[in-house]
Parts: sequence; C-alpha cells; structure tokens
Amino acid sequence: MTVDDNSLIIIALLPFLGALVPGVMIRAGRNACAAFTAVPTALALVMLLTKAPGVFAGQVYVAEVDWLPQLGLSAAFFLDGLGFLFASMILGVGLLITLYARFYLSGEDPMGQFYTYLLLFQGAMLGIVLSDNILLLLIFWELTSLSSFLLIGYWKHLPEGRQGARMALAVTGAGGLAMIGGMLILGNIVGSYNLTDILAAGDLIKASDWYLPALILILLGAFTKSAQFPFHFWLPHAMAAPTPVSAYLHSATMVKAGVFLMARMWPALAGTDAWFYIVATIGLITMVTGALIALFKDDLKALLAYSTVSHLGLLTMLLGFGTPMAAVVAVFHIINHLTFKAALFMTAGIVDHEAHTRDIKRLGGLRTLMPITFVIGTLAALSMAGIPLLNGFLSKEMMLEEAAHTTWAGSHLALPVLATVGALLSVAYSFRFVAHVFLGPVREDYPHKPHDPPFGLWAAPALLVGLVVLIGLLPHVVEPLVKTAAGAVTGGELPYFHLKIWHGFTPALFMSVIATVGGLILLMLHVPLDRIWASAPRPEAKVIFDRLIAALVNLSRRISDATHDGAMSRYLAIFVVATTALGYIAWRGAAMPAETRALLPIPPLVFVIWILLMAATASVVLMHRERFRALVVLGVIGLTISVGFVYLSAPDLALTQISVETVTIMLLLLALHYMPKSSPIESSATRRIRDGAIALAAGGGVGALAYAFMLRDTSTISQYHLDNSYEGGGGTNVVNVILVDFRGYDTYGEIIVLGIAGLIIFAIMEALLNGPASRKLRRTDYSADRSRDRHPLMVVIATRVMMPVALMVGAYIFLRGHNQPGGGFVAGLVVSIALLMQYMASGFAWTQDRQRIEYHSLIGWGVVLAGLTGAAAWLYASPFLTSLYGYIEVAPIEKFGIGTAFLFDLGVFLAVLGAVMLMLYSLSRIARYAGETVNTEPMDYDPSDPVQAAEKES
Amino acid sequence: MISSDLNIILPEIVLSLYAMTALLVAVYTGKDKTAPMLTTLTAAVMALIGIWIGVSGGGTETAFGGMFIDDGFSRFAKVVILLSAAAVLIMGQDYMNRRGLLRFEYPLLIALSAVGMMVMVSAGDLMALYMGLELQSLSLYVVASLRRDSVKSTEAGLKYFVLGALSSGMLLFGSSLVYGFAGTTLFSGIIQAAGEGHVSLGLLFGLVFVTVGLAFKVSAVPFHMWTPDVYEGSPTPVTAFFATAPKVAALGLFARVLHDAFGGVVGDWQQILAALSLLSMFLGAVAAIGQTNIKRLMAYSSIAHMGFALMGLAAGTAFGVQAMLIYVTIYVVMNVGTFAFILMMEKDGQPVTDIRALNLYSKAEPGKALAMLILLFSLAGVPPLVGFFGKLYVLRAAYESGLAWLAIAGVIASVIGAFYYLRIVYYMYFGEEGEGLDSVKRPVLSVLLALSAAIMLVGVVNLFGIESIAQAAAATLVN
Repeated sequence: MTVDDNSLIIIALLPFLGALVPGVMIRAGRNACAAFTAVPTALALVMLLTKAPGVFAGQVYVAEVDWLPQLGLSAAFFLDGLGFLFASMILGVGLLITLYARFYLSGEDPMGQFYTYLLLFQGAMLGIVLSDNILLLLIFWELTSLSSFLLIGYWKHLPEGRQGARMALAVTGAGGLAMIGGMLILGNIVGSYNLTDILAAGDLIKASDWYLPALILILLGAFTKSAQFPFHFWLPHAMAAPTPVSAYLHSATMVKAGVFLMARMWPALAGTDAWFYIVATIGLITMVTGALIALFKDDLKALLAYSTVSHLGLLTMLLGFGTPMAAVVAVFHIINHLTFKAALFMTAGIVDHEAHTRDIKRLGGLRTLMPITFVIGTLAALSMAGIPLLNGFLSKEMMLEEAAHTTWAGSHLALPVLATVGALLSVAYSFRFVAHVFLGPVREDYPHKPHDPPFGLWAAPALLVGLVVLIGLLPHVVEPLVKTAAGAVTGGELPYFHLKIWHGFTPALFMSVIATVGGLILLMLHVPLDRIWASAPRPEAKVIFDRLIAALVNLSRRISDATHDGAMSRYLAIFVVATTALGYIAWRGAAMPAETRALLPIPPLVFVIWILLMAATASVVLMHRERFRALVVLGVIGLTISVGFVYLSAPDLALTQISVETVTIMLLLLALHYMPKSSPIESSATRRIRDGAIALAAGGGVGALAYAFMLRDTSTISQYHLDNSYEGGGGTNVVNVILVDFRGYDTYGEIIVLGIAGLIIFAIMEALLNGPASRKLRRTDYSADRSRDRHPLMVVIATRVMMPVALMVGAYIFLRGHNQPGGGFVAGLVVSIALLMQYMASGFAWTQDRQRIEYHSLIGWGVVLAGLTGAAAWLYASPFLTSLYGYIEVAPIEKFGIGTAFLFDLGVFLAVLGAVMLMLYSLSRIARYAGETVNTEPMDYDPSDPVQAAEKES
Repeated sequence: MISSDLNIILPEIVLSLYAMTALLVAVYTGKDKTAPMLTTLTAAVMALIGIWIGVSGGGTETAFGGMFIDDGFSRFAKVVILLSAAAVLIMGQDYMNRRGLLRFEYPLLIALSAVGMMVMVSAGDLMALYMGLELQSLSLYVVASLRRDSVKSTEAGLKYFVLGALSSGMLLFGSSLVYGFAGTTLFSGIIQAAGEGHVSLGLLFGLVFVTVGLAFKVSAVPFHMWTPDVYEGSPTPVTAFFATAPKVAALGLFARVLHDAFGGVVGDWQQILAALSLLSMFLGAVAAIGQTNIKRLMAYSSIAHMGFALMGLAAGTAFGVQAMLIYVTIYVVMNVGTFAFILMMEKDGQPVTDIRALNLYSKAEPGKALAMLILLFSLAGVPPLVGFFGKLYVLRAAYESGLAWLAIAGVIASVIGAFYYLRIVYYMYFGEEGEGLDSVKRPVLSVLLALSAAIMLVGVVNLFGIESIAQAAAATLVN
C-alpha cells in the first residue's frame, strides 16, 4: 500500500541544504559549527521517525518530481522497511559522528570544510537508500564516491592518505561506472527505470538473455563499493582518513551501500544459480580472507578495516544464499555490525587520540589507564567475536545455522566448514584487539600519556555499546524492524522466526563453540603464527593493483607509440589501409547485381598502349628520386591519357588534357631547376615493399570498383546534359556548356582559385627572395647545368614564327568553343603555351622586357568580367549566371550564335592566361635573382640590316 | 527569390563580410597592432551573431534551391559553434599576446572557419558541404601552424594539411560517386535515390567514402592520427579551438549527411558508425593513459568523446541525434573550462604541459583545483555532474536502437577512461611535493573556468533546458 508523501523529498534534500551552513558557521566557533551540522541531520531523523509507525504497518511512502523525463530520470523517492532501516542508520550514526568529530578534530583542522563534506556525503547516502529510480540511485551512488574522496583526502598532510584516496576512488568510481551499464540493461528489460517496477518484474529480468551481463555489471558496482574480494584492498588503504570518517564511511554507511544494493535488488536478481555462485562464493572468500588478514594487522584501524571487509563478506554471502531466512539474518547482522563496529572504530580513534599511536605492538595495559574506553571497547569487541548475551552472538549463530544447511556445488561441508573458519578467525582478532590493547602490563613508553577522553568523545561509542547490550539481552526489541526491513528485501512473505538467545542444541551452537575455543587457541599461538605470516609469501593486493596499473600504462604507451610515432608515412598507411578495408567490407556486404555489359574487345594497339601506360606509371614510382626523369615520364603518362581520350572520342578532354599537361610540365621543369636534382632515400627496403603493397591494394581496389561499375548498367547523369545542352545552354559542345552554364558557378569559383594560386605563388616568391632562403639561391652555381648555346637560333626563330599562329589558334579555339571542342579555358592555355615558349627560347629577361600587360590585372579583369556577366542575369530577374543566347549577323561574317556565355568564357580565358603567366613570371624572378643576366644574344636584330649588324659586331 | 535566399544566409554573409572587411582594414592600417582589438571585436561579433541566430527561431527554410538549409538543427549547432569560438578567442588572447603570436590574421581565420562551420551544418547539398568543410579546414590548417618559428607547430600544420587533403580527396571521390549514381548533389534528391532500404552499389561506395572523409574531420579512429600531433603542436589557444567548435560542426555535418541524404538506409551506415564509435572510445581511453602531456592527453580524450558522440549518431534515430547534440554541447562547455585551466599552467612565464607539474596544485590554488576537479569528473562522466548526463543520453540512444553491445562497450570504455582523468586529480590533490606552477592571475580564464565548472554542477537541475531544445532540433533533422 503506497502513500504519497512529499516530505520524503525534504528529508533527502535536508543534508544538502545543511551542507551550505557549516562552511559559513565556522566563524561562529566550533561548537556552533557542529551544532548546525547536527540540526539538519536531527531534523531529517525526526521526520523519518514520524513515518516509522506507517512503515511498520507495511506502508510504502512515495514522492516523485519529474527531472529529465526523456532520459527516464525522475527525482522519485520511496521509503519502505529496508530504506527506513538504512536511512535511520545513516542519520543516527551521522549524528553521533558529528558529536564525536567535534571533540576528535583539533583546532587547526578546517572544521567547517569537514562538516560540509560530511553532510554532502550523508545526503548522497540517504539518496541511495531512498531512491525509487535506478538512475537517480546511480547518481547518488557516484556522489558518495566523490564526497568520500573529499573526506578521505581531508587530511592532506598524511602521505599514506594519498595512495589510499586514489585507489578508493579508482576502484569504487570504476565500479559505479560499470553499474551504469547494468542499470541501463535492467531499465530496458523492464521498460521503466522505476525501482518499484523493476522489483516487481523479477521473473521477466531473470528470464532475459541480458540477465547475466546486467547482473555482472551491477555486482561489479556493489562489490567494489563493499570491498568484496578481489576489490577488498582499497578499504584498508582508505583508513588514513581521520577516524570519524573511517567510522562513518568505512564501517557504517558507504561500504554498506553495496550490501544495500544487493538487498534492494534481491527480488529482481536473486534466486538464480548465477546469483548464488557469484555472490555467495565471493562473500565467503571475502569473509575468510578478510578475517585472516585482520588477525595479523598491527595497526588498530587496519585490523578493524579488514574485520569490516570480513563482515561485509559475511553479509554478501548471506544475501547470496537467496533464501528469505538468509535475508532476515543479513538484515539483523547489518544492524548488529553497525553498532559494534562503529563503537570499535571510535574506540580505536580514542586510543589513537590519547596515546598518539594505533600500533598494537606499542600498546597494551590501557585497562587501568582508560577504564571507560576499556569497557566500551571490550563489550564491542566481544560482540564482534560473537560472545553470548551480546548482539553479535545472535546474528552469528543464525548465520552459521543458515550456512549449515546450504549446499555448495553438491557439497554439504564446504560452506559450514569455511563459515566456521571465518567465525573462528573473527573470534581470534576480536580477542586480540582486547588482549593486546587493554590487557597486559602497563607500559612506560607510550608516545603520550593516555587517559580517558572527555565525555563528548566517549558518549557516542557508549551509546552504541548500550545498543549492543540491549539487543543482545532483549533481541525481540528490534524484531519489528528486522521483520519490516527483511520483508522489504524479499518483497514477499517471510518464514516464521523469532529472535531469541537460546535456540537449543543446534549445529550452529557447536560451530560457535568450536569457533570460540579455536579462536582463543589461535590467539595464544599468535606470536609464532605472526612470525610465519610475516615470512610467508602472499599476494599483496595493492601491489597487484599497482602492477596492473603499471601494465596498463605500459600497454597504453605501446599502443600510442606504435600508432602515433609522428611519422607521416605511418599515418597515411593507416588511413589508406582503413579506407581500403572499409571499401572491401562494403564490397562484400553489397548485393552485387549481375553483370549486364560485356567487356569490349581490346585491340592489340590499345593493349600495348595500356601496357606502356602501366610501365610508365611504375617507372615514375621507381624513378621518383631522379626528379627530371620522373617529370619526363609523367609527361609521357599525361600524353598517353590524352591519346586515350582521343581514342574514346572525347576530343574536348584530349585538347584540355594536352594543354594542361604541357603547361604544367613546362612550369614544373622551370621550377625543378632550382631544386636538388635528386631526392634522398628516406625509407628502408622493407618499408618500401610494405608501402608498395598498401598502394597496390588501394589502387587495385579503386580499379576493381571502376571495372565493376563499367560492367553494369547504371543510370548516369550524362544523358541529362546531352539532352539539355543545346536547349538550355545554347551550345552543342557539352563539356563547354557544362563548364560555362550548367556548372557556371564551379567554373567561376575555379578561375578565382586559379587566380589566387597564381597570386600566392607570386607572394611566396616575394617572401622567398626577401628571406633567408635567398642567400642559398644566390650561392647556387647553375653554370654546370647551362648549355653552351642557351638560345639556339632555330628554336628562337621557330617560336617567334609560331607566336602569331598560336595566338590565332587560340582565338579560333576560343570562338568555336561553345559548339566544338575548345573554349576559354583551352584557349587561355594555348596562348600561355605560345608565351611560355618565348620565355624558354629567348630567355626570361628578354621576354620580360617585351611584356606590356601586367598579369595581376589580367586575372582581376578576367574574374570581374565573368562575375559581371553572371550578375547581368539579375537584370532579367534570372538567377546568377543564367545565360542568354541569341544569333547575331554582322556583315560580312556569316550569321553566328552568341551568348552571354561567350563573355563569361572570355573572363575564363583572361584569368587562365593571367594565372599561368604570373606563375611563370614568379619563376623567372628566381632565375634573375640567381644571376641570369638579360639576354642580348638571341636573334632580336635583323642581320640583313647593316646598321644593326654593325652594332652587333661592336 | 534571390533576396529571400540571401536573407536566409544573412548571418553567414554578415560574418564573412566582417572578416573580409576587417582583413583589409587591418592590412592597410596597423597590422598586428590591431590584433588585440580585432580579437575582442571578432569574439563580440561571433557571440552577437550566435545570439541573433539563437533568438531568431522560426521554422525550416531552404535557400538556393535546397543547397542551404536553415532549420532548428543547424541553428542549434551554429549557436554552440559561434559561442564556443567566441569564448575560445577571448580565452587565448592573453596567451597569444604574451608569446607574440597574436597576429591579426588569427581572429579573422577563426571567424572564417566559423563561417565554414556554419555552412557545414546548414549544408543541403554535397557542394555546399564541401565548400563549408574546406573553408573551415583551410583556416584550421593555417591556425595550426600559426607559430611559424616552431618546428612542432609547422609540422602539425603540415601533417594536418596532408592528411586533411587525403581525406578531402576521399570525400570528393565519395561525393562524385553519389552524384553519379543519384543524379543530383542535393541531399533531398539523394535520399530519394537511396530510399526504401535499397541502395545501389555506387551509392553505397559513395556513402562509405564520404563517411571516411567525415570520420577524419571528427577524428574518429582509425582516421584520427592527426589529432595528438596537432593538439600538441598547435599553440594552446588554437588547440582549445580545435577541441570545441570544429567538433560540433563536424558532428553536425555528419548527422546531416547521414540523416538528410542517407536517412532511408540507416542499416547501411549504422554498422560503420558503430565500429568507428567503438574504436574511438577504446583507443581514446587506452592511449590517453600513457600520456603525460596534457595537450596530447586532451587529444586522446577528444577522440574518446567523439566515439561517444558517434554512438548517438550510430543509433540512427531522432533520439540519437538529440543525444549527440546534448553530448557535444556539454563536451564543448567542459573543454572551454579545461582549456582555460591549461592556459593558466605556466612556470616562470613559460607554458607547461606536463601533468606532473600539477603536483599538489590544490594547496597553492584550492579554488582552481576544485573547479578543475569538477571538470575532470564531468569529463569522466561521473554522476551527478553534467558530463554523466551526456553519456547517459548516448548510451540510452544506442541501447534503444538495438546496439546494446555498443552501449556496454561504451560503459567499459568510460571506466578505462575515468582512470586518466583521475590521475590528474590525484596529482593535484595527493601528488608529491615538487616544483609547482606559478600562481597566475588571469581574470578572464578564471571566470571561464569557474563558469564552466559551475555549469557542470548547476546544470544537473535541468541541463538548462537544453533537452527540449535539442529534441526540437533533432526532430527537424530526422523525420
């Protein structure tokens, strides 16, 4: 039966609101600070207790506020028996710790900060136990890690605190993150992130395929938090924290969060084989291991820490059994463990505080010096040992009873025997705590003269020990609480039980007697055993953890060194291999349609040319270190490809290809002149082979792809252009119409880019000639490269004769462009070639002197013209670059068609010409800088003219 | 027609005109002397345009025949891009000035790259996509090698450029295949050609190569190799820029292409994206562990985070896109704060990038250390900080669209990844005594650091309402 009650939200928020106060109140003094910490805690506790009657009557209080609904996250809280038990523990012990810490912390410690962290932590814990939404629970869960980190790190001056804090955070934080996965799975199986829904859907969850992953991920979170084997090592190392923190976090609350989670999830997850074997086994191992280590620890807090690990293992084991009765025992033991362990921690703190040491080897005989502490400590320790009339005895008996009739993998003995061993060890270390700290002779060499502390310090443990005795004598006092909480754990009917001291002569009693007697014997043998223990090799979990981390770091370095060594070639190799692999996967995955076209017959001549092309390509790769040769072969490849275009009836492409090829090769030739003639060997033979293989695979892949496409009918875009070229663009040369019309924007952009490229080369050259590199240029001696006849007469004459012809051809190609192969682009290149030849034949300087137009402005005008032509379309309310087309008849020329595309083409022509020439000009500047003189030799005079001939002679 | 087109891309036009005008003015006046003023001005202009776009609202409009799309998705991304770019500019000003790196081209290149990014996230056509991408990339290549006298910086720029050119080549190759087989470069046309779960071989390969090109831009493994070198080599403010706005733009573009153009064939790209995401998360997490240079570490961290963002995309649903948007927004805010911190790391006036220099930083600078602690935890995705919600969104998105294995792997990767963030925290709070860092006073950086950390805390309340905005934005993209 559920009751809406929004005060739950207030309870959950109170500690957070309260956390704002102590930091401010510290100016008002330490007492005020502690008091203001106690107020929100007490208030929350009172509010909680007002709900006690309802909870005991089986009511469940709920409150919900939407938070991020799309994520399935809502601020939903609910309070049932289990939540009530934990919440009252958290708040109650919180109050006691506040009191204890007030007296424990010294004047120099920043107390405001401490209490703020403490309240933050308290709020997070409270959130965990009250959450009705697993995502909300997750948030509070990690918040405890965070705030505990702040608390553990509170004493920064302790060197051992560092490692501990880091490890605690690394382990529990990671576990919490893993839990996110588990919670997501659970939410998805059930279809709701509401805890109540999930708890009700246990059967659905257990039947799901994702049950095991979810279970493992959630248990990872729980085990790391509750320090279960093999994650148990972080808890003792976290003990460097101030004792109030250890008492609160590491005995009463945070480490119980894992146990709480297992109890909370019990209806949803427990009861399967997987649950039993994972949880119960881990719990058992933890219980025995923890107890064993605790026995040989000399640090009081370390002893208690390992005993906590052991008891947490016990709880885990009980929950792992998966039976309702075991759950009852677990709940009962949670209460008992809380009372005696918190009292013990505080006692250890008092001893440390008064005697200034926690080393058992340096203590002893405190019985007479600290009588109050002795009583408190002894009662609590005896309860931990499970001595009758104290509460520890009751739950231990019940635990042994459960273990006695649970079979593990078919064995009836395994569990009871090991559980007895655990209990025996527990007795031993509990007795040791009493015997070695309080009993024995008074010593002379305490670091500080011990005496009983002020009331404020022993009040809290005394209260707890009072509870220990009370529950031990009158167990039925807590029976309603145990029943309600256990009922909430199992979510169903509980078996009939009664909490009482005497159960008769049960197996558990015998096991208990064995444990007690055995424990005493063990204690007597402690000195020799300790020596064996100290010399025996054993795996140290912390060392293993550190090694694991070191190995991980090592692995990480190796991975990053191997893949990110800074070498460009490796990056490129990874890129290309990955892309090729992706392509291959796509190829394999694609449903390839059948081939629909046959391969055309290959004429022998074409085949030979193809072979030549391949050979030339291979030669470029092989010869790339000899730059000039490689360039020549590159030219061969380019020309072969243009021949290919001709063969495939694409004269336009062929024309463009030839002119582009010529221009680039010439420019490159000129540029290479100023560079070393060969490049150094950069890589080993094996690497070259590897790279070659990668290149072959990638190239082969692209080739195969093209081949596959060509063998299949595909809808292509060419038909559209063929159909629309004349009607839409007024031209029959589709390539040119695409350039100036269909894709006019592109062309416009392209000429701008070309122009910019020319300008950049010019600008870079400027910087180069003014920078440090210019000295090198100046020193270079090119005389060896020079031909004795730098400007052969034949060539000079030929180029000059060709000049007007080439210009004419350019004009012709330009004009016919729109319908026949040609156009502004090609025309620009043809004219550039004509000019280039002048440069090469007659020398840079000579040609330069005769240049009348500035190339920069040529580019600019070209772009402007093309742009204006395009913009003119706006006057006719058409989009940019829409072309107009019409026919003009000018006598005596016959009627010809002309379009605005013509003007656009002119812009292209000018820009191309300007850009190419500007690049050439830039190169020529180097030449002149490097010492080339103005060439007067070439045939720039008329030999038949006697006057000029005479001048020449002189 | 044309005026309405221009109206739609008015923000881009305004920013480009501003950048070009400012460039000319600076060239003809004080050159580098104007740089501090220009930086502030550029940041202000970008922030203003960001706010303008943010408040303008409106529905979905297209310009230039569908080549440019202005919708909720693009506006969302643009606001994040512009605001983060403005923040990073302001942040780096002091650092650049101190080291003589504050050239007047720097803020303008950033502005131009922002224009490119705006076009990227608004692209409705392969052409627009490429234009935006290249405008952005070319500006970035230059700013990466801004420190011209440093070998590392120039090397970083060159590597970035060469690899970037290769990836652009792949993208173009893919685009041309798509164009050839879809008959159009418009996304709206491609989605028809690639609709109804059927995709021709040519389109499939086009998709694969376009994805490769875009994966490079988001630095997804195995196309991530440039990231550590470029992060390390670039001046720190530039690195901060790399880690913020371009990530948003690249992811936005990725989402746009995948959903607007290939939204009908989710099955064909989901596996690729899932694989990219998986590899990125793990490589980012594992490789970061061994790093001691905080810039390299942040590079690997960015790779891992991009893996998570890609997980949202891999879901292939509107919720996935929403998750990605939320994730990357949170990521950008965290990075602004983190880099504000890194910019303050110096010793004797020299920048320090070794994380071991942070030993016991919390003693000297408790406030900054606490802010950084919050940011690091948030980066690690530890609840209840805002970074956790980002992770939760993408994990849920992936999980709900049947990629449970990816979500689980993501959780494991985040566990591994948490380790190296914690290591920095460890150094700051529990390190050994050693030579610390200078205690510097940089009001702008401190404010940004504090602000970013505060957002990580306060945002927990309702993520500043970003959930519904991102949802609306994602809904305009995926339908």
